[in-house]
Amino acid sequence: MAVQPEVNKKSVMRTVLDAADDVFTRITAGISAGEVRRMIRGEAPGRPNPRLKPHSEAFLLHIKPTYYHESVTKFTHTFRLGLLSTYLFFVETITGLILMIWYAPTPERAYTDMIRLLSNVPFGQLMRDLHRLGAELMVAVVTLHMVRTYLTGSYKAPRQFTWFTGVILLVLTLFLSFSGYLLPWDQLAYWAVTIGTSMAEAIPPPIVGETVNLLARGAPDIGANGLMRFYLLHVLFLPLALFLFFFVHYYKVVHFGISLPSDEEEVGQDTANKVPADRRVYFLPDVMLDEAALLIVFTALMVIASVFFFAAPLESIANPQSTPLHTVAPWYFYWLQGLLKIADKAIAGVYLPGILLVLLIGIPYLDRNPSRRGRDRRVAIISGVVAGIVMIILSWMGTPYYAVQGAPAVEVIQELMPEEGMGPVREIGYAHLPLGVYDTRTHPESEDEEFNHILHEFEASIAAFEAKDPSFNDAYGILTISQEQPSLKRINWDIYWLSPEGVDETYNRFFFLHEDAFYWEQYGIKDFSFMRPATGEGE
Amino acid sequence: MKRPWYRFLYVRSSLVKLLLSIIAIMVAVAVVLFQGIAEEPRMLAQTANWDGRSIQNGAAIYANNCSSCHGPDGRGLPGVAPALNSRYFFTQRLADLGFTGSLEDYVALTVAAGRPNNRNSQWAQMMPTWSAEYGGPFRGDQVRDVAKFVVNWEEEALTQTQETDPWQPFENAPTVDIYGDGGVVAMEPTPVATGPRPPQELFVSMTCVACHNLNLPQDAQNRGPVGPNMANLHETAATRVPGEDAQTYVHNSIVNPGAYTVESYTPGIMPADFAQKMSEEEIQSLVDWILDPNRPQ
Repeated sequence: MAVQPEVNKKSVMRTVLDAADDVFTRITAGISAGEVRRMIRGEAPGRPNPRLKPHSEAFLLHIKPTYYHESVTKFTHTFRLGLLSTYLFFVETITGLILMIWYAPTPERAYTDMIRLLSNVPFGQLMRDLHRLGAELMVAVVTLHMVRTYLTGSYKAPRQFTWFTGVILLVLTLFLSFSGYLLPWDQLAYWAVTIGTSMAEAIPPPIVGETVNLLARGAPDIGANGLMRFYLLHVLFLPLALFLFFFVHYYKVVHFGISLPSDEEEVGQDTANKVPADRRVYFLPDVMLDEAALLIVFTALMVIASVFFFAAPLESIANPQSTPLHTVAPWYFYWLQGLLKIADKAIAGVYLPGILLVLLIGIPYLDRNPSRRGRDRRVAIISGVVAGIVMIILSWMGTPYYAVQGAPAVEVIQELMPEEGMGPVREIGYAHLPLGVYDTRTHPESEDEEFNHILHEFEASIAAFEAKDPSFNDAYGILTISQEQPSLKRINWDIYWLSPEGVDETYNRFFFLHEDAFYWEQYGIKDFSFMRPATGEGE
Repeated sequence: MKRPWYRFLYVRSSLVKLLLSIIAIMVAVAVVLFQGIAEEPRMLAQTANWDGRSIQNGAAIYANNCSSCHGPDGRGLPGVAPALNSRYFFTQRLADLGFTGSLEDYVALTVAAGRPNNRNSQWAQMMPTWSAEYGGPFRGDQVRDVAKFVVNWEEEALTQTQETDPWQPFENAPTVDIYGDGGVVAMEPTPVATGPRPPQELFVSMTCVACHNLNLPQDAQNRGPVGPNMANLHETAATRVPGEDAQTYVHNSIVNPGAYTVESYTPGIMPADFAQKMSEEEIQSLVDWILDPNRPQ
């Protein structure tokens, strides 16, 4: 294009500004700088509406509707849970890709790579915490999204298929989260996944179950092959499947529109796509600003949470020879663990979840009630709430508090110094464990206040088990703390008791604790004490 | 239209949304910057943490597998296995061997591959191979953990003097002054004591301790892995062979180990030369000591 005639016609300044505006309009796919200014000032668009152009010009916006019904843009109608799930998938992809740089899926390297990530990669722990927090939030948000859809009856005609793809997405999210569980290759991961895959073994007939189990694990026990398979599921197959179903789901959402609040239309009608001109809220700029603000605030909250309040756990390296005392599934599978405690593996692990899945998919066809109004759907809402309560009770039964108490002596020590994780003794740490022999019969006291709490708890815990367990009589414990090496203490627990037959029984367990070792809880305020300059305290 | 109580959740004003977004971005950036400042000390603390946990794991493995020969405190057992918690080991051993790697590497190597045999060795026990790579029970990370634990004795070992260093010199003893107490010190083999040696010393120096546990009974719950436990031997010895009382049975078992082997144990493991290594008087005192129910532990 010839510049000279333009400059002759207009001024140089005008030409440059026009060229700049032209570039700007190309980048925004049709919104000029002046239009942005009018948007910010809250002015109405001209006619024809120039703010619709990006929806036809830009790939990323062509899947977004140009306007919404005013009622569905209220935050409390959808809580934007679908948007949040999508965003969390995006967060997981980004953080996951960064984590992949530092990770090799082999038993020799996986766990040491975790340690390297934590101790040698700047922001490595933050990335891991964000990824883990995002995974847990994604399960929660997807579930809440489903609950919202159920409570507003939005699965009803014509949205049955949208609901079906949503159920598939929920299952994919759970599998994604579960397949990622194995990758750190620690005890937590190894045994949770061993139990998870062993449920597949219960699929009848045996030949099918065994084959599925073998295909998932890659060998009779999880090893190098199993890790590689779970890795590929986690980083490739499941995300791609989720990607596909997400687009099908989203297409159906846009196609039918977001269902209106039920009192705004007649029973049996669906007017989501017939938005009167005066109720339209345009995506540009109102909905976009709203969604962007929500996602930015949400991201900030996630960052704050993972910097200060959330730390992904890492237990000791996977050891196929040693089954941990209490294997704990992630919280969103507590209900399944609860079921496994009260029912047979085939029933709890295959039939009931299978029936549950079929029921979930079948809800739009089982519920023939055309009305989406709460007062017309008492049966549906009450059964939904009952199902929710049952899930919560089952989840509680899935925690170690329910029905997995081991022998009293084992549990006393597990409470104070668990095999994995922190527990009160490791919490007070090396510096607060004075050397000596502490016999609960003599009610020992020490100089250290924090250690005294441990001694009291030790005594109280033994007394509590003695009171409720008839096979645990005249019990007492001896705690011996000795210096094994410079900077290494040995914490030796001995518990003595009389069996009902009057036979002396004893249980011994010992642990080592290094001066520099520290442990953390998954949820709770993080410890930043390492930022204090070394003061030479703690002898 | 009625106004719901949760209407504060409806942010209507574009300006408020913009402000909220800007504040959120600033807060997030500030938090990430704070994390950035914390990164260096955090990584240092994590490095120390995982080294410490390695040592903890190594300590547990050592206590369960190594302490029976190398001693629970790493001071070795004369004639059975060398001391590790030893100044000589930390300052001179590698130079004497001509090993150019680090001591941790040397320990890891020895733990992993063991020693091929104990012919011409002054140590009664052969170091087994511990790494799964060479047919042992441990993974590579466990071997490393044990090495880290052993090397962690350094601080304590370096405070030892020649008198307190438990090192058992090899025949080709080093001639370097490592104790800084003047003069070149030849580490001579421990002189052979004259007169009968006490039984508690014999039990160790004759390497009985490597296979027999004195403090555990041999019963249904406990079973010595290589040789039977001995805490209840004073009760069971007389019942073993008809016509032999406890004294005779134990005496014969020492002098002629091939005579009886407790069922389920491998015959021929116990050395057959104790009659040559000990005087009759010493053997008798050892038998009495082993069978003494009130023997102090």
